[in-house]
Amino acid sequence: MMGRTCLTGRAAVLAAILVVATATHAAGPVPSYTADPAASRLEFAGSQAGAEFKGTFRKFSAAIDFAPDSPASARFDVQIDLNSLDTMDKDRDQTMRGPDIFDIAHYPTAHYVTRSVAKTAAGYSAVGALTLHGVTKDVPIDFQFVSGAQPKIEGTAKLKRLEFGVGQGDWKSTEWVKDEVKVAFSLALKPRS
Amino acid sequence: MPNPGPPTRYTGVAQTFHWIIAGLVVTQFILGWTAVDLPLGMHKLALLARHKSVGMTVLMLAILRLLWRLKHAPPDLPTAMAPVERLLARATHVAFYVLLFAMPITGWMMSSAKNYSVSWFGLFTWPDLIGQNETAFNVLKATHDTLSFVLFGIAVLHVLAALKHHFWNKDDVFVRMLPFTKSERR
Repeated sequence: MMGRTCLTGRAAVLAAILVVATATHAAGPVPSYTADPAASRLEFAGSQAGAEFKGTFRKFSAAIDFAPDSPASARFDVQIDLNSLDTMDKDRDQTMRGPDIFDIAHYPTAHYVTRSVAKTAAGYSAVGALTLHGVTKDVPIDFQFVSGAQPKIEGTAKLKRLEFGVGQGDWKSTEWVKDEVKVAFSLALKPRS
Repeated sequence: MPNPGPPTRYTGVAQTFHWIIAGLVVTQFILGWTAVDLPLGMHKLALLARHKSVGMTVLMLAILRLLWRLKHAPPDLPTAMAPVERLLARATHVAFYVLLFAMPITGWMMSSAKNYSVSWFGLFTWPDLIGQNETAFNVLKATHDTLSFVLFGIAVLHVLAALKHHFWNKDDVFVRMLPFTKSERR
């Protein structure tokens, strides 16, 4: 009984590898890009004391495999340097880097990697795993592909900061700082060498 | 019907503006002077959120009050007052009007300059008056702080003057701003 379970398990893993390999192969070569840092942006908007405030992450890197016709083989892998956050107020930036919010001493980066991408009526949608503050959770994104001399991927996402433990102590309260955070990005694509 | 002549008391509307704004300004001193010493945290955020909402309320009331004041002349000052006293009373009242606008507007600009937009009790957000600018913020904060001490100073002067009129001069200057009273003393 034990042996059979083990064998079945191995077979399943093997099958899975085959399926993945076949899928990748069947999709054919998909262009690989990075985000041009000078022309790309990654912004977030939170709500504080009833008013929206915006910030950006100045440093992030992205590896993007994307072809408009084969969303199933698309893959985004984005690494964000949380220390590069900028909300246009040094005091707020320092507080956000601190132990009760992003705690960048322990969690300096956030990482997003897509698991599935699909075409929608309005563009594309993706589901990916966001690792932030040591917590990994699925975050869906909606995006558009803008073709041109420098193609772009532009999109939005919504997430709840407290699901990632972003906000400890007093900051766990949502009375003055809302749970929901909006994210907007525009990635200017350049071919990956 | 006899000619009513010049008013001897402030109108009910003027009294209402006076006492509501006075109460809100006292609230502002408590919120503002408590928050200013706190480190950036939830407590400061909460106090300043209320401070900003109350401040915008004062600004809106100040606009309405000024409009009312322009259409409704206040009662004359007692004839017994010396010219220098009249000048001081007049200067104090003008300064109050100036500060009822200057305090909220410098506060609003401070918020804009620091990229902390002003919400009104969480119901809506006021537009930013200026762009984010650290130098402007520092200048505006210094101005707002200094004006708060000026306002405090003239408020003390104003209260002492009202009490002097009532208890020393025994005229109706204080009573005519008090609701539910009658001006009998002259």
